[in-house]
Amino acid sequence: MATDDLIQLTDVTKSYQQHTVLHDVNLTIKTGEFVAFVGESGGGKSTLLRLIAGLEPATTGQLMMDGRTINGLNTVARVMFQDDRLLPWMTVLENLSFKSRDMNEKVRAQELLDLVQLHDFANYYPNQLSGGQKQRVALARALMASPKLLLLDEPLGALDALTRSRMQELIADIVDQENLTTILITHDVREAAKMADRIVAIKHGTTGLTVPGHRHQTDEMAMIAVANEVQEFILSD
Amino acid sequence: MKKRWQKVILVVLLFFWAGGTYYGYQQTTGSRDKLQKVTIGYQKGDPVDVSRSRGVLVKKMKELGYRVVFKEFADGASEMQALAAGSINYARTGDTPPVTAAASGTDIAYIAAGASRSSGSGILVQKDSDIDSVKALQGKKVAYTQSTSSQFLLLQALSKAGMSASDIEWVNMKQADAAIAFSKGDVDAWVTWDPYTAQGQVTQQAKLLTNGDGLSQNRDFILSTQQYAKKHEAVNEYLVKYLSEDMTWANEHPKALTKLLTKALGMKQTIVAKMVDRRDWTLTPMTKAIAKEEQTIADVFYENDLIKQRINVSDDVIYVSE
Amino acid sequence: MKKSNKQDKRQAENLLPWLIPIALIIVWQVAVDAKWIDATYVPSPLAVLEQGVTLWQAGTLQQNMGISLYRATMGLLIGGAVGFVLGVANGLSRISHALFNSTIQMVRNIPHLALIPLIIIWFGIGEPAKVTLVAIGVMFPIYINTLHGIQSIDPKLIEMGQSYRLTKWQMFTKVIFPGAMPTILMGLRYALGVMWTTLIVSETISASSGIGYMETNAQQFLDMPTIFLAIIIYAILGKVSDWIAALLESILLDWQASKGGR
Repeated sequence: MATDDLIQLTDVTKSYQQHTVLHDVNLTIKTGEFVAFVGESGGGKSTLLRLIAGLEPATTGQLMMDGRTINGLNTVARVMFQDDRLLPWMTVLENLSFKSRDMNEKVRAQELLDLVQLHDFANYYPNQLSGGQKQRVALARALMASPKLLLLDEPLGALDALTRSRMQELIADIVDQENLTTILITHDVREAAKMADRIVAIKHGTTGLTVPGHRHQTDEMAMIAVANEVQEFILSD
Repeated sequence: MKKRWQKVILVVLLFFWAGGTYYGYQQTTGSRDKLQKVTIGYQKGDPVDVSRSRGVLVKKMKELGYRVVFKEFADGASEMQALAAGSINYARTGDTPPVTAAASGTDIAYIAAGASRSSGSGILVQKDSDIDSVKALQGKKVAYTQSTSSQFLLLQALSKAGMSASDIEWVNMKQADAAIAFSKGDVDAWVTWDPYTAQGQVTQQAKLLTNGDGLSQNRDFILSTQQYAKKHEAVNEYLVKYLSEDMTWANEHPKALTKLLTKALGMKQTIVAKMVDRRDWTLTPMTKAIAKEEQTIADVFYENDLIKQRINVSDDVIYVSE
Repeated sequence: MKKSNKQDKRQAENLLPWLIPIALIIVWQVAVDAKWIDATYVPSPLAVLEQGVTLWQAGTLQQNMGISLYRATMGLLIGGAVGFVLGVANGLSRISHALFNSTIQMVRNIPHLALIPLIIIWFGIGEPAKVTLVAIGVMFPIYINTLHGIQSIDPKLIEMGQSYRLTKWQMFTKVIFPGAMPTILMGLRYALGVMWTTLIVSETISASSGIGYMETNAQQFLDMPTIFLAIIIYAILGKVSDWIAALLESILLDWQASKGGR
C-alpha cells in the first residue's frame, strides 16, 4: 500500500441473505483524489459508499482506511445524503453545531455557512429553505468535523438543473479549498466527468470501467467524450 | 412578536396553575387538622410584638394545632374591652388595665408577668422646661392615659413627693394624641412608657423628670379571661412557654432585636436601641410576689377613688406551671 | 382598503367561537327571567355568578378549586412521568417493549373508572386515592403517544445521527425526543382532558373537598346554583388547560409552522 493511498478495498463482497449486491470489489483511492461512482440504480454504488462509511459491515473482504481496517463507523468520513436529513426542529446553525455547545463550534459553523453562502440563514428552520439551500446546509454539516473523507451520496439528485450546476461548482470549490478526498455517487455521467479525477463505473455489483475524469479541466468536448464512453459502458449488456 | 406573547401567556398561566396547586396542597393538609384560632392583642413594641415579628411562636403553635392571630391596640384599656367582648383571647398590657377592668367587673385572668419596666417609663418634660422636680409639677398640665400604667405612675410620683392628686391638672388622652400635645407644648409634662418615652427623649430631647424606679414596676402582663383560660390550660402553658423563650432570645440578642423592632415599629433605630438598651424582656408565669404588687396598685386606686370597688387580685391569678 | 377588509374578516372570525356560548347564556338568562323555565331547577346565569361570589367570599370556592387543582396536578405529574418513562423505555429498547407493552395494552383497556372500588379499598378516600386514579387515567395517553412518537421517527435521521457519531444521550435529546415531541404533546392534550374527567368522578364518589364534592354536596340540598357553578368551573378549567397545551404546542413546535419567513 503506497503512502498516499487513503482507502484500499480488497475483494469486498456484500450480500443480504441470498442476494449478492457487491462482489470482489478491489479499489484504491489516493489522498486528495476525487472519485465518482456511477452506475444504474440498484447497481451497488450506494452500498459501496455505505460500506466505506462504516454504516454497514462487508460480508467478506477487507476495507482499509488510513492503513486501518474499517470496523464499525468510519470516524474520519462524513456522509452527505441524497435527502438533506437535517433535523427540522433545529435552526440551520443548530443543525451544524448540534454535537456540542462549544463556542468554537458555533464560530466554525458560521464560517462554513459563509462558505456555502448561507450566511444570513443561520437562524432559519430547514423547512423555510429551498431544496438547494438545504443541501448546502447538509454540506456544511458534513464539513463541520473536518473529515478526511467526504462521501457524497447523490446529493444533487433531487435538485433542478440550474441549482444543480451551481451546487456542482460550489462543491468543487470547497473540495479544492479544503483539500478533501471525496467520493461522489451519481447517476449523471456528465456530472461525474466534470467533477471527478477518476470515474468508476459500477455494474452488476462490481467495478467495471475506470476512466480518468476531467476535474480542473476546461476541454468540454473531451469531457463529453468521457461521459459518453462511461454511459455506453453502463448501458451495454 | 406573536411567539413572545404566547410565551408570556403560557408562563402566566403556568404560574397561576402552580400557585393554585400549592394553595390546594396547603388546603388539603389544613383540612386534615383544623387549626384552632388563638387571638392575641398586643401593643407596639411589646413582648408579643417581638414574638410576632420573630415568627417562631406562630410556627410552634401551628405545629401544636393552633393558628395564632395578632391584633394591635393603642393601649391596654382598649385591649381590656376587646378581651371582655371576646374578640381576643389574650392581651398583653401594662400593670394598671387589669386592675381597673377587674374593678368594673370584667372577667380577668393573670397568666404571666414580665420583668420591671421602670427605667423605660416615667414623666417627660420639654427640653427647655423649668420643671426640674415632681414638686414643680404643681398646677401644671400633665398628659396621661386613664386606666393605664401612666395613671398609677403619676399617682405614685405625686404621693412620693408629698403631693396629692389634685395638685396637678390631669389631662387624659390617648398616647398618640399625648405625643402631639406634648410636642406642641399644649401640656407641660407627659407620663408615658417605652417606646414613647424613648421617642420623646430622642426626637424632642425631652427630659425624663423621673423614671418609674421606686414608683411603679410597670410590668407586662399576659392576660386572659377566667372563662377562656380555665378551658384552655394547654394554650396558657404553650403561650407562656414560647413567649418566655422568645423573651430569653430577646435578652440575648439586643442587636437582632433592635433590627426587628425598628422594622416592626417603623421608628428610628436610635429610638429603638434606647428602648432595647434599658429593658429586661424576661417573662415568667405569675408569682405571689407579683400578685402582691398588683394588689398595691388596686389599693392605691381604691384609696384615690379611681375605682369604686375593692378587688382581690389573687382571685384572678392563674399559676401556669413552667 | 382590501387589506383592512381582510383584517376585519379575520377579527370577526376570531370572535366566532364565542358567539354560541354568549348567545346561550343570554337566551338562558332571558328564559329564566321570563319564567319560561323553572328557576328552581335551572338557575339564571346571574344567580350562578352570585353564588360564585358568595362562595368565594366565604372562602370555600377557592379552597375547593385549589384542592381539585392540586389533585389534578399531582395525578398529572405522577401519571405523566410514569407514562413518559415507560413510553421512552419501550420505544428505545426492544426487550423492554417485548416485556411490558402487551401487559400495558391489556391494562389500558380496563376503563380506569372501573378501578374506583379497588382504589377506595386500597387507598381509602384520602388524597392518595384520588391522585392515583387521576395518575392511572393520565398515564395511558402519555404512554401510547410517547411510544408511538419514538417509534415513528424517521430512521434516516437516526442513521444520520449515527454516522455523525452522536452519543446515545445526544441521540435522545437532539433527535429522538424532539422528533417525538409533536406526538407526545398530542398525548398531553388528550391526557389533560382525561385528568379532569377522572377527577370529577373520583371527587363525586369519595371526597370531603374539591369541586366534585362541592357539586354532589349541593345536590343533596338541591342547591342548583352551586351545581351549575361547579359544572361551569370544570368547563373553564378544562378550557384553560387545553389552552395551555395548545400554547405549548405552538411554542415548542414552532419549527413546524414556520414555513416562509420568520
